[in-house]
Amino acid sequence: MRVMVLVKADKDSEAGVMPSEALLTQMGAYNEELVKAGVMLAGEGLHPSSKGLRMRFSGGQRVITDGPFAETKELLAGFWIWQVRSFEEAVEWLKRAPFDGGTEIELRPIFEMEDFGEALTPELREQEERVRAEAAKLGG
Amino acid sequence: MRFMVLVKATKDSEAGAPPTRELVDAMMAYNEELVKAGIMKGGDGLQPSAKGARVQFDGEKRSVVDGPFTETKELVAGYWLWECKSLDEAIAWVKRCPNPMPGPSEIEIRPVVDIADFGEMVSPEAAATWDRLKSEVGNG
Repeated sequence: MRVMVLVKADKDSEAGVMPSEALLTQMGAYNEELVKAGVMLAGEGLHPSSKGLRMRFSGGQRVITDGPFAETKELLAGFWIWQVRSFEEAVEWLKRAPFDGGTEIELRPIFEMEDFGEALTPELREQEERVRAEAAKLGG
Repeated sequence: MRFMVLVKATKDSEAGAPPTRELVDAMMAYNEELVKAGIMKGGDGLQPSAKGARVQFDGEKRSVVDGPFTETKELVAGYWLWECKSLDEAIAWVKRCPNPMPGPSEIEIRPVVDIADFGEMVSPEAAATWDRLKSEVGNG
């Protein structure tokens, strides 16, 4: 199964404070372990919400609100996508991550095609597989 | 520039309500357009937070809190990773997205950090390691 690991923002990440070299080194070593174990499929960090925006969808309407957004602890600062045998394996990997100071990380199972059951017709399944393969070629 | 496009959760997505056939068709067609335009590099839907967990880090302590989590509108229900020429191009693409939820919904656009953004915090060795890990996971 695949799991998304969501790293929440904090005051520092929202202020654009870059991580220390020590933390970057620890995180690099952790990423290296994840890759060697075949667990890490992807991972990125996000710029502070002041560089982003939100778009609200309501009927045909699209309303844009520019960042920054106030509710810091619910904002995202980064993520990984992991391939694991079970949710428990993801929890065990996460416990080894070099975070501290009350940081909270969220783990969420990703929907796989099987989860959609019969609603995913053979045509849709074929289209989904084609889109994924092409997106992967683009470096996804 | 790369962007993370975050689809926010709603009551429906948190309840695990399956999307309508029309929405799945519309979303699949939209994904196909994104791929053809070379925009989409990845994307997934997340299962409701009831199936997820959070891990809190404090010193050596790791506390696991099982979902569901209550602040629905701040939860993520899905994401894309896009390669766009500018934030404006990302906005234009999000405007064309079918409303991903049955009712009003919100999508957040956040620029992704590139290793170069960390500046001199990243030693040449750390940058080389990161590039190697990225190429091993096939992500850029």
